[in-house]
Amino acid sequence: MEAFAKVHFGQAAPVSADLPLLSNQDVMMNISLIKEYHENWSKERTAAIVLSGLQRLGMSHIAYKRNPALTSEERFCAMLLRAAMIQSALIVIDRPFKILPHLQDAAFLFDACERISDLFSRCYIFDYRWMKDKYGAVCL
Amino acid sequence: MHWLESAGHSILSASRTFGDTLLFSAKVALRLFQPRAYNKATRDVLVNQIYFTSVQILPVFLTASIAFASLLVGIVFQSLKDLGLTEYFGHVLMGLIVTELSPLFTVLLITLRSSSAINAEVAVMKSNRELKTLEMFHIDLVDYLVVPRIINGMLSLVLLSSLFSTVLMASGILFSGVIFDMSVDVYTNILLNSTSFSAIFIALVKCAVYGFFITLIPIRSGLRATRELTSIPITVSRGMVNVFSAILIIEVLSLLTKLL
Repeated sequence: MEAFAKVHFGQAAPVSADLPLLSNQDVMMNISLIKEYHENWSKERTAAIVLSGLQRLGMSHIAYKRNPALTSEERFCAMLLRAAMIQSALIVIDRPFKILPHLQDAAFLFDACERISDLFSRCYIFDYRWMKDKYGAVCL
Repeated sequence: MHWLESAGHSILSASRTFGDTLLFSAKVALRLFQPRAYNKATRDVLVNQIYFTSVQILPVFLTASIAFASLLVGIVFQSLKDLGLTEYFGHVLMGLIVTELSPLFTVLLITLRSSSAINAEVAVMKSNRELKTLEMFHIDLVDYLVVPRIINGMLSLVLLSSLFSTVLMASGILFSGVIFDMSVDVYTNILLNSTSFSAIFIALVKCAVYGFFITLIPIRSGLRATRELTSIPITVSRGMVNVFSAILIIEVLSLLTKLL
């Protein structure tokens, strides 16, 4: 993950269980932070794009929840949208089943990425070889 | 020779910590003047911090100020009357209570409430790998975590200390009337004549310096937490001890400034 971030400096957008949401901020603030910090966007402008992203993921209800109150799916979507906030994001999902341990396959993952695909450039998923079956035909 | 070795080790470790803190202070102080440290995200954090430190505390702070100020002013005025030193009450009120005790009372209250909270918050973030998240998203820790909290600490201390002084002087009106049978006009005149603007300036600068260090030391201490949850209470207790030492050092330095 760190090597990828070094190669694609400024574009690498990690989604990983090792990079949790900030627990003292709600989901909205966690996601808005990226645009507000890097592109100096106003709160109102960022809120609009975050709410629209959450709506597309079917997660509008989590906007003002904090990390401990989220389910695994909700947490994953918040982390994915946070990563998508990076300009021309190259999303790297690191061992997604560490965030979503109860899922049988990657259908939820693919569906979530598809719903906000216009917000990022590319998406890479890194996982162990023995998790190959969970990804079906798309696995390299 | 064992005691000598252990004393030397303690002295070396204390001076290293002191040196590190001073270096970190210099780095943060420089960053306060760099425009790149200010963006919408840091402004949001600053507004939240001001709300948590200065606004949320107002009811408790006002109640404590009124109780403490009335008690203090009542006791001091009565003692001055008993000792036959009524003519010095203006100097005592402005020189001792407003410029010395007011910043001290405020800094103790804010330290107990906010410094411990900041220390625990940063330690939890470190322990929970949330600081790693910020680094991976290229968010500078000093800009995002330290600068807004430091500005808030300095602003809050100056404002709350001024509020405490105002409450003190207002309760002085009541007690000067009851104890010295003094009118409001006479009381105001005595206060204005006893006011030394340099002393007020030093008191305000002292509040800002207090605000800087009672925020910086807990953050620095919180950053020393490890991945283990048990390190959180250790860093908080060490941080608080260091904060109280800093308050003592600043108090002594301000006294020296007045003497020189």
